[in-house]
Amino acid sequence: MATLSLSSRPLTFLRPNRTKPPLHRLLRHKPLASSSASALTPPTPRADPSPTPDPDPTPLFLRSASHPVPAAALASFRRRAAALVPPSAPHLHRHLRWLLVDAAADPSSDPALLRAPLDDLEAMWTRHVRERRPFQYVVGNEHWRDLVVAVREGVLIPRPETEAVVDMIRKVEGFADGWWADLGTGSGAIAVAVARELGHEGRVFAVDVSEVAVEVATLNVQRYGVQGKVEIRHGSWFEPLEDVKGKLMGVISNPPYIPTDDLPGLQPEVGWHEPKLALDGGKEGLEHLLHLCEGLSSVLKPGGFFVFETNGNKQSEFLVDLISTKWNSSFHNVEAVLDFAEIKRFVTGYRR
Amino acid sequence: MARALLLRVARYPPLPTSLVLSHSQPRLLPLPPLRRHAPSPHRFVPLALPASSVSTSSDAPSDGGGGRKGGEDDAGTGTGGCVDYLGMSDEELMEQCEMGTFKASGPGGQHRNKRESAVRLKHRPTGIIAQAVEDRSQHMNRASALSRLRTLIALKVRRPINLEDYTPPVELLQILPLKSTVRGKDVGPQIGPNNSKFSPGMQALLDLLFAVEGSVSDAAKLLGLSTGALSRLILSDDSLRTAANELRALKGLKPLR
Ligand SMILES: C[S@@+](CC[C@H](N)C(=O)[O-])C[C@H]1O[C@@H](n2cnc3c(N)ncnc32)[C@H](O)[C@@H]1O
Repeated sequence: MATLSLSSRPLTFLRPNRTKPPLHRLLRHKPLASSSASALTPPTPRADPSPTPDPDPTPLFLRSASHPVPAAALASFRRRAAALVPPSAPHLHRHLRWLLVDAAADPSSDPALLRAPLDDLEAMWTRHVRERRPFQYVVGNEHWRDLVVAVREGVLIPRPETEAVVDMIRKVEGFADGWWADLGTGSGAIAVAVARELGHEGRVFAVDVSEVAVEVATLNVQRYGVQGKVEIRHGSWFEPLEDVKGKLMGVISNPPYIPTDDLPGLQPEVGWHEPKLALDGGKEGLEHLLHLCEGLSSVLKPGGFFVFETNGNKQSEFLVDLISTKWNSSFHNVEAVLDFAEIKRFVTGYRR
Repeated sequence: MARALLLRVARYPPLPTSLVLSHSQPRLLPLPPLRRHAPSPHRFVPLALPASSVSTSSDAPSDGGGGRKGGEDDAGTGTGGCVDYLGMSDEELMEQCEMGTFKASGPGGQHRNKRESAVRLKHRPTGIIAQAVEDRSQHMNRASALSRLRTLIALKVRRPINLEDYTPPVELLQILPLKSTVRGKDVGPQIGPNNSKFSPGMQALLDLLFAVEGSVSDAAKLLGLSTGALSRLILSDDSLRTAANELRALKGLKPLR
């Protein structure tokens, strides 16, 4: 697939800023440790919460398949890795399959050509199963809509719920040639998906305050060849958008919306590994959403559309209520929209 | 803390098996129960799927859930079994479906690391259920399930045919071998089972076979083919062969092999 090919640009900017730690191979010359910590009974959080970066920060599926491994060795890795999966977590078998799909250029050849040494794959797998490191960080991508989005520690893994925002804005009249903002773009998933559907005049301004997000979004924009349509801007919410004030056809945002008090209770894959900056919505989770609501009317042009993702029912109801009362003179058709699990996940509306 | 998935079983009422075909497919993977979503005015139903979204989940289990003639309970399809579902766009077909997905306990969204992207579509007018679990994104599973649904509709939904003055519809002509004498030059190259346009042709072929009570030689005459040539076409696709044989079995005919 052409979209999966490595961009000609070197991927050096994916390298973590901190100095390289020693190679972290958990299991050299040892069978995979039997899992006392199953994926369902998490161990207590590690004392050192900073994740150990991979030796090679390039997403697995983008590395070159330069490690020949005898088919028998690969098969025995597969067996050992599968043995680590507790019966109560069958989804991990799917992850193992996907890990091998991402790792092997042609899994049926002998020797198989892998994109990482077998030792590294073992270490990756163990960290997923035992340390609850999200599978998407392990392989460095998430499949989202019809995209394969590169991700890494420091940027939020795009969620399946969010896939729907692209379909929503595509139905807005004049969508294709409008200017759009994706505020808090993270991996750039939304910005890339939108850009791919835009017409000649269409643009996306993708804003994030996180440097890692800017780097990863840049990579994804390049991989999908939409750098002509997406402009990535580093800064806080509306600040980098002064020059397009009043010109936007729409604003899309999936801002951090989890109430600070709820952060300690998050599942380990999220709470231990994903960036607080992408999750923490402050008191009641509304801090950023309220800021976004306030700034909306000055950036949208008349008739412009907005969609925000929220924490669900209560937050959405609250925002719909607030916007259609306090800012009734600026907006109309403000409503909550359900996600696939029938949670009122989105708030949408139009500027008058 | 692990967040267990709360799975609600979709309890579709068992459908009458009075339809000619009782199609059962092997389940290749244990099927996780999916939550059923009632249609809701506020729910966002994505209307467009990528044109490029060919099913990559050939091993996605799908279960028939029985079937019956279309048009019973859906508005706008009051013509009994004659609705051309396969002529509908993906958007139109999707609007006739209820989508089931996993329902996680708790608030979802940013709170959760995804475990499942399984999608189950129930086509309301026919009761046919198609699902896909193997793709890594929700979107792709939905596209796979929809393409699976088209195949199942072709296999299960029989529409009456008037044999008196029968002319094969163009979608059927397109899947016939070039040597068919009723197939004009302008029909173009023969469309094979891997092409998404095969389903409508397959449906029309099964309609015809049903109308001639399973007789391959009668159908072959109407299609300007030898009996052998039509048999080979039917045998070229596993699901078509299975459906044709089930239909023949109902008429007391031997299976084609
Ligand atoms: C929940 S993530 C969404 C990421 C991406 N749009 C997606 O849906 O997958 C929220 C994003 O907002 C960014 N963010 C947090 N505070 C911000 C601020 N003040 N200005 C701009 N972006 C911010 C975070 O860095 C993070 O990338």
